[in-house]
Amino acid sequence: MRHRFMTAIAIAAVVSAFSLPLLARQAPAAAARRPAAPKPWTLTRTPWGEPDLQGVWNDATSTPLQRPDNRAGKDVLTDDEAAKFEEELAFGLTRDRRDGGAEVDVNRAYNEHWMDARRLKITADRRTSLIVDPPDGRLPALVPLSAERQKARAAGAAANARFIAGMPYGPDEMSLPVRCIIRTDSPPYLPTIYNNDFQIYQSPGYVVIAPEMIHSARIIPLDGRPHLGKNLRQWLGDTRGHWDGNSLVIETTNFRTDNGVVYPGANPEAYRITERFTRVAADTINYEFTIADPTTWTKPWTAVIPWTKIDPAEQMYEYACHEDNFDIVHLLSGARIREKNNEGGR
Amino acid sequence: MRSPFGRAMTLLAMAIAIVVLCVTVLPTAGQQRPASGQFSSYRAPRFFDGHPDMNGVWQAFVTANIDLEDHEAQSGPHPELLGAYGGWPAGQSVIEGGEIPYQPWALAKKRQNAERRMMVDVSEDKTWHDLGDPELKCYMPGVPRATYMPFPFQIVQGSSDYILMAYEFTSATRTIRMNWKDNAPTDSWMGWSRGRWDGDTLVVDVTGQRPETWFDRAGDFHSDALHVVERYTPASPYHLMYEATIEDPKVFTRPWKISFPLYRRMERNVQLLEFKCAPFTEELLYGKFRRKF
Amino acid sequence: MRTLRSTVASLGLLLAVSAPALSAHHAFVSEFDANKPVKFTGTVTKMLWVNPHAWIYVDVKKPDGSVEEWMIETGTPNTLLRRGFTKESLQPGTEISVDGYQSKDGSRRANGRDLTLPDGRTLFLGSSGPGAPPEPAKK
Repeated sequence: MRHRFMTAIAIAAVVSAFSLPLLARQAPAAAARRPAAPKPWTLTRTPWGEPDLQGVWNDATSTPLQRPDNRAGKDVLTDDEAAKFEEELAFGLTRDRRDGGAEVDVNRAYNEHWMDARRLKITADRRTSLIVDPPDGRLPALVPLSAERQKARAAGAAANARFIAGMPYGPDEMSLPVRCIIRTDSPPYLPTIYNNDFQIYQSPGYVVIAPEMIHSARIIPLDGRPHLGKNLRQWLGDTRGHWDGNSLVIETTNFRTDNGVVYPGANPEAYRITERFTRVAADTINYEFTIADPTTWTKPWTAVIPWTKIDPAEQMYEYACHEDNFDIVHLLSGARIREKNNEGGR
Repeated sequence: MRSPFGRAMTLLAMAIAIVVLCVTVLPTAGQQRPASGQFSSYRAPRFFDGHPDMNGVWQAFVTANIDLEDHEAQSGPHPELLGAYGGWPAGQSVIEGGEIPYQPWALAKKRQNAERRMMVDVSEDKTWHDLGDPELKCYMPGVPRATYMPFPFQIVQGSSDYILMAYEFTSATRTIRMNWKDNAPTDSWMGWSRGRWDGDTLVVDVTGQRPETWFDRAGDFHSDALHVVERYTPASPYHLMYEATIEDPKVFTRPWKISFPLYRRMERNVQLLEFKCAPFTEELLYGKFRRKF
Repeated sequence: MRTLRSTVASLGLLLAVSAPALSAHHAFVSEFDANKPVKFTGTVTKMLWVNPHAWIYVDVKKPDGSVEEWMIETGTPNTLLRRGFTKESLQPGTEISVDGYQSKDGSRRANGRDLTLPDGRTLFLGSSGPGAPPEPAKK
């Protein structure tokens, strides 16, 4: 029966995946010092035969998107190096510091425990960057921008400068997260300071990824239906999925073209994002995404971020945003008061 | 005494009548037109856990979001601008007994809500929620209003302890935690939903709702003591029967109940689309704080 | 430690450049004034457990005996909920100390940069005293 055959293949794939370092790109020296072999684990499946991704997952980490200069040439660290790397990153990120002057201090916002504690930890596989391709762990070289895009960027930068100075003109020139339209639910999913949680639901023919911010459900049909017509654009695009072995592969199109909808700097007309979800342990999903935009980056680029299962002990909670978004009024009415008092931007 | 010709004609007439009957009425004699308000007894297909499969895209087609009680057609806001676009249709009450049993003070408050439903003032944090229908402001509608908004919602029932209900209106979602003990750690707009099975009925107990939500555009409201118990029962391959019992001793004189069918959306490749309405409300809410040049 | 700091300085620059999503959500300096630090003790009258920011209302007694109400912006409550706190955890009447930055528009609003109880313990950090997380019951 095809189902049993595929299960056997799947088990073989999982077993072989565990007998190798997490990423095939690791240098042989690193393989000698890889973490202790994980406990034996068999991929669990839903009753309808798909890999089980259900539950609440957290993607917080301190591992930076791009490999820092002072770790150039090292894609995976030894145990000692990893401890040092984690310590450096945690020192840079912790909110419990009060040094650096008032401007820095204000932006640290609150005590450290208001933030996600997991964001002070590097990934278990001790990589020096979330980007795995290009192999140097850095974003690819940029394509020179057209004059039109440069102009749009400059306008965006000017609006952002007004916002930072506390003098925004109106709500529409604030960022989409500040306006509570989209936040970490906009793919690719990247770790942030808190609420790095995702709940995955599955039913026959669907996988649903519900990010905590901002309470949306990304309902992904697996039945091979076409994408929405090209005139139906959405803030979170339109996603279709299929299983590739034990990996869920999803493709998203139909993004709106407003500033901030796709990855910062990318061109919504040319932007393509593919994401893969592979459960590699009882408590781990590997989330991998590839972004291709030949009008912005000279090559596509790929990052891998491990997700850790946190339920039932920890739950995802409602993140209402627009409903009690007092700060929008504080920012706008505050700007008008200061304009009236002839206080410039500070 | 009938002539042989007369007898033959009678026989012919009977034969024609029988043929006509066979072609028209009799073939459909076993299929009766469904009578409104009645479903034939139905046993839904089983899901993997032995419970009925409620997966699907569903939608209510009552006009309860305008007013849970009986309501006439009305012009809606700004008819001088919107004409028939802005008109709201009539609808019959979805409430058992017809009316909401308000305490006297609360009935006055409901009427005040209705008068002020389109007034908005967010200049002060402390009075941010005092005025206006939360739907107008694109705030999440809570339960049961989310069920009868004129938008579809999707039930995602899998093999975990959680069932998802995802609503097209402002991409609102709620998790139904099955057989769950913990109470809501804090209030939320869509409430804290705990589910269990009662035969083929999914029973959802909802507590911890923000007191600021309304039940409809008619100003029907509740307090922080709101307790809602929903029942979803498969009634046909294309219908769920929905009932909700609403209890709030601070506002009503007794619990009251609403019910109506939910319809399975059957369009090919139907899916929830986005209705992220927050940007539609920015001018209404924040326009007066915009810089004037 | 000097090596650590200079390493961190170069790392910090890289982090700011390489992780746009981390800075995209909010620059607190846009609303709160680095030049207007505030430090006071007051009595909690209520806490709004809302997103995107929870707010703590604090009555502050001035030297002349009058009372000023301050609104303190804090982080997302969801992080606290996952650590076991609930909306009952900060009761009205609790005294807290606020070390923060005042709103740029001069209103009595501040960023709750560092919130402590009178005995110096950080608010919502401890496992005892005001805001102790209860035992999780879950299922």
